[in-house]
Amino acid sequence: MSGAGPLSPTVPASHPEKRGLLRMTPSLRPGEADMAAVLEKKKPKVIVCDGNEAAAWGVSLANVDMVAVYPITPQSSLVEYVAKFVADGRLKADIVDVEGEHSVLSVLQGGMLAGARTYTATCGPGLAFMFEPYLRTPGLRMPMVMSIVTRDTLSPQSVWGGHQDAMSVREAGWIQLYCETVQEVLDTVVMAYRIAEHHDVMLPVNVCHDGNYLSYGASRVELPEQADVDAFLGAKDVNWHVALDPTRPMGVDPLTGGAGGPGPRMFVKYRKGQCRGMQNALAVIEEAHAEWNRHVGRWHAPLIEPYRMEDARFALVTLGSMTGAAKDAVDEARGAGVSVGLVKVKTYRPFPLKAIAAALAPVEAVGVIDRSVDFGFDCGPLYKDVLGALAGLPRRIPARSFIGGLAGADITVGHVQRVIGEVAELAASGTPGPTAWLNERD
Amino acid sequence: MHSHYLILGASHAALSAVAAIRMADTDNALTVVAKEPHLPYSPTVLPYVVSGRSDPARIALADEAWFGERKVDVLRGTGVAGVDPVLRRVRLADGRELFYDKLLVATGARPFVPPVPGLSALPFHVLRTLDDALALREAARGARRALVLGAGLIGSHAAENLAKAGLEVTVVEREPRMLPAYFDARAAAIIERRFAEHGVRVLTGATVRTAERAAEGCRLGVENGAGWEALEADLLVVGAGVVPATDFLAGTRMDGNRGIPVDDDMAAAEGIWAAGDCARVASFYGGPPVVGGILPDAVQQGRVAGQAMAGDPGRKPYAGAIPLNTYTFFGHQAVSVGVQDLPGAETHRCGDPAAGRDLKVVTRDGRLAGIFGIDWPFDGGVMWELILRRVDLAPVMDRFLADPQDTARTLMSKLWR
Amino acid sequence: MTAYSTLRFDAARCTGCGDCMTACAVAKTGSDDPGRSRLRVLPGNTPGTWEAAVCRQCGDPRCVSFCPAAALAKDPETGTVEWDGAKCVNCLLCTVGCAYAGIAFDAAAGHVAKCDHCGGNPACAAACGEGALEWMTTARIYNEVGQDEDLFVPGLAGCQGCNTEIVMRHAMRRIGPDCVLATPPGCVPGMGSVGYNGMTGTKVPVFHPLLTNAASMLAGVRRAHKRQGRDVLAVALAGDGGASDVGFQSLSGAAERGEEILFIVIDNEGYMNTGMQRSSCTPFGAWTSTTPVGERGRGKTQDAKNLPLIMVMHECDYVATASTAFMEDFYAKLDRAIAAARHGFAYLHVYSPCTTGWRFPAEKNIEVARRAVECNFVTLWEFTPEAGLRFTRDPDRPRPLADYLSALGKFRHLGADQVGHLERHLAENVKRLRGLAREPAAA
Repeated sequence: MSGAGPLSPTVPASHPEKRGLLRMTPSLRPGEADMAAVLEKKKPKVIVCDGNEAAAWGVSLANVDMVAVYPITPQSSLVEYVAKFVADGRLKADIVDVEGEHSVLSVLQGGMLAGARTYTATCGPGLAFMFEPYLRTPGLRMPMVMSIVTRDTLSPQSVWGGHQDAMSVREAGWIQLYCETVQEVLDTVVMAYRIAEHHDVMLPVNVCHDGNYLSYGASRVELPEQADVDAFLGAKDVNWHVALDPTRPMGVDPLTGGAGGPGPRMFVKYRKGQCRGMQNALAVIEEAHAEWNRHVGRWHAPLIEPYRMEDARFALVTLGSMTGAAKDAVDEARGAGVSVGLVKVKTYRPFPLKAIAAALAPVEAVGVIDRSVDFGFDCGPLYKDVLGALAGLPRRIPARSFIGGLAGADITVGHVQRVIGEVAELAASGTPGPTAWLNERD
Repeated sequence: MHSHYLILGASHAALSAVAAIRMADTDNALTVVAKEPHLPYSPTVLPYVVSGRSDPARIALADEAWFGERKVDVLRGTGVAGVDPVLRRVRLADGRELFYDKLLVATGARPFVPPVPGLSALPFHVLRTLDDALALREAARGARRALVLGAGLIGSHAAENLAKAGLEVTVVEREPRMLPAYFDARAAAIIERRFAEHGVRVLTGATVRTAERAAEGCRLGVENGAGWEALEADLLVVGAGVVPATDFLAGTRMDGNRGIPVDDDMAAAEGIWAAGDCARVASFYGGPPVVGGILPDAVQQGRVAGQAMAGDPGRKPYAGAIPLNTYTFFGHQAVSVGVQDLPGAETHRCGDPAAGRDLKVVTRDGRLAGIFGIDWPFDGGVMWELILRRVDLAPVMDRFLADPQDTARTLMSKLWR
Repeated sequence: MTAYSTLRFDAARCTGCGDCMTACAVAKTGSDDPGRSRLRVLPGNTPGTWEAAVCRQCGDPRCVSFCPAAALAKDPETGTVEWDGAKCVNCLLCTVGCAYAGIAFDAAAGHVAKCDHCGGNPACAAACGEGALEWMTTARIYNEVGQDEDLFVPGLAGCQGCNTEIVMRHAMRRIGPDCVLATPPGCVPGMGSVGYNGMTGTKVPVFHPLLTNAASMLAGVRRAHKRQGRDVLAVALAGDGGASDVGFQSLSGAAERGEEILFIVIDNEGYMNTGMQRSSCTPFGAWTSTTPVGERGRGKTQDAKNLPLIMVMHECDYVATASTAFMEDFYAKLDRAIAAARHGFAYLHVYSPCTTGWRFPAEKNIEVARRAVECNFVTLWEFTPEAGLRFTRDPDRPRPLADYLSALGKFRHLGADQVGHLERHLAENVKRLRGLAREPAAA
């Protein structure tokens, strides 16, 4: 499952987006090299754009019916791009400029229940404000797609990137996919509709891309052909299961539960169904990525991406755009004879527990880098989840939490090199030190 | 044949009962037995049939459609021969038998013919049925002189109509005044004056002692305070009152011609109710029960009986009879509501008898007991309600006596608007 | 029994001028002698008050039962008790039958006379400049709407005498099935309209939005159907708390954007479903469970937010207030609001007395609703951007406010200062509305 590897490991580490760009060249899964011949003929259209514009392109290609917008840094340019696409007639969607994020999601819920494919984007305080309708979206099995252009939460007041917003809603029942590159942002927004609207899933998807790093960083991006995307997505069918439509009258979301009668078992039925949809999503996400590759000719790792994990003694676990710098650091460490590998998590919710456990099972120590914190456990949230994966293994593998890149701070090759050093020590001692804060002395 | 509800009679009390039953029970079988072949009509309209004012073809109170809408079977043209309260069976004059669960006797009244020697052998007219009216109308056309026995409502109406038809008319009344049941001497004098003005001779306090044939038609021997007088006429009308038409009850506990005694649900016996001119009811003012014999009472009693028969939970018991009538004569209006006198009552006299207008108000403890007027405007229905509700008039008594109509209307607005 | 159009006499508005009687006399006899009117206005029991005696066109008319000549009959089509002069024998028994002085002898005419509604266009009502005599079309509406399907199931679990249930059922009858209905949390879904554990109480597509987002969700519903070329009416039946407090942002946003929604607020002046807590629509001085009355507490200390007026300031395509005590007015506004919601935002604010939360007997609900309007506690008006604001019931000469306050337990504790405050506030409110009104009230 390993990718083809970087074409140019010598690119300066201080420009993660640029490295991302270089990695954008299609990587083919082993055994699918015959697709290369197909791609040769297609001559993909190439543009240079940032992650926000890439998301807008994804929205346009997915033939979304309704977009509700409310601006917030660093998401604003994304909805501006969508509005422009609508104004230009490229995207034939209803664009609703509402009075706040709460209504953003509410308008879309109404639209979805009446049969519309919907999209929006937000971050940080906006996400917090839409929390009330946000919570009920997965419960009503609404297959909506929303980008979180991640931003650290208040306070201290901050407008820069960090995963704290998305991490704060990780147990709300939405699928969360984290992108590493601008190209992956575009591709994942489209794929998210196939995942969300799959009849075995019917759950909303957050496509997370890092504020600042991916939102504003411009890269070379290949635009898929509309016909390929159409073939990939198939027919729209978002409200077959729950609808507000006089031709199919029903009471949507009646009071359910209580201590007696059919209430308890009915509520459990819905909750369990929601959990089952989440677990079903693991296979559907893999299938969607495979189908994307088949139709469009570009491969992204669906759940996790193990990088140079062959014979690795230690492993790093990363999330989002930091992975670029981490891969460089791993390459450098391998060059220096250190047997280290990396596991990038793309699908964070549902948590790909088995895939992560399998990928980490052979190593002696693990370092998990988070761009947010888990207040309850004084560590990173991804770290805590990885501990859950490791706990099921027959052998105890020591792991340590590293937190960096908060509120727009960089996670550089240097930071990751330090992490690699700490993990090597951990492998020797077997005793994890306390949570390490990478930018504490920057 | 069986009918859940069976109603004997087809005039005001019966029709009122039909309506009341169907308000509460739209399903159970209901049968009405009408003695006459005609559609239901009111005996009260008959004088106007005689005078030609009413077209006999247009006096029906209910037609086939009305009964059809209410799912009523009507058996017309057959009288009742007998009632068996134990078997709950009615025998009709034509021999048919009807079984019932609930029976209403609303057969009304028949004319009373005074026991004057020789009278029954003479050709005379009464006025209780449509056929009576048509016969009298026909007879009046060829007649010259008429004698009317009785100056009650029927007799007085008949006398007026015959006079208007050009006959020379004499009325003989046993009581000392006309319309003794509704008006006192002063009011009656005004009425009598109008009759006199129109050439009608009214003999009050006069009793017919003999009756015999004469060349012209008949000759009656009449005794009054002053002596005897022989009166001849070619048309004789007997309007001396009515008695309940309940002959078919002979042999039952309801036998007798003094009316069927009923309670305030109009119930007479197990499964039997009675209403209208054949029922003997409590008086609103207490004292012995009475046979009302007036149209408004028949309507009220029929409604109460119907509600009771259908078990209407909204029914109110019958409040008791209040004498009540209107009488128009030679273009003048007389209205009588309540009683002329009561123990402990106070009488207020107003009016202008010389001008032919009169008002008498009877009160007790500040409450209205009766009000009687001739050409004096007031609303009989509002007055009736004041009596029934025992409204205290003391605070407005002066206003009431000066202007009973508007004062009563104001009270009405406040009390039952 | 069918109901019919009829004359309504409002004693509180009558000045005793007698114009109605003159009009009746002219229309019916050609004479301008008010004595010949078939309607009689007379002094009431207290000086300065007036009463009317006129035929009630009874459902089971005793005058008809008492008529020996079949000269009186109730017309099954119009409900009018008709008099046939060709059959009448002038016996006056009908006058004995009527307890309302609705039929009386007209000496000049020589026969009885009664109101015949002038064939459906009564001269008296047209002549009344005070609004004391009205030709009520409630019955016509009943006959029309009685044919429409009730779109809620029988047996919704509202409190006894619930006014909100009346609003819901009538509104939805008029709106019909081709709609999507939002019922944000509160009494409307609380009585089981959306349903419970898999069952629903509504026959149209219905949903529980959040307390905060009914207008936003409906905007999405309406737009998505419209994209598909379908005209599906988007309707909210919302409480005042959700609309004026926590849901106000989405309401205001949708109104500003001109979303095509019919937004009906059922104003019971607080959070009645959750236990009678204060909302911003709760009036000054009112007891609620969060503005209790005690040694120091004397009810709410702020005036109610004037939500319908705020909606006027949004320049919505239609804004109106309504009351279940004035159903013909309510229905007329429903019709206009439904039409407006097909091209813009329509807002209907219906006052809904709450027997449970306001503390009054269940059977008094409509009476309380009526008094609220008659005392100007509630004003009835409508607004469109083209025609501006217009009173649909003249607020002139209101009944004393005490008539309303005394009927409600929630105002029982009010002191004279508080009553004075309310009176000033209500007067100010009418003055403000009058300033906005471009034309006089409807007749």
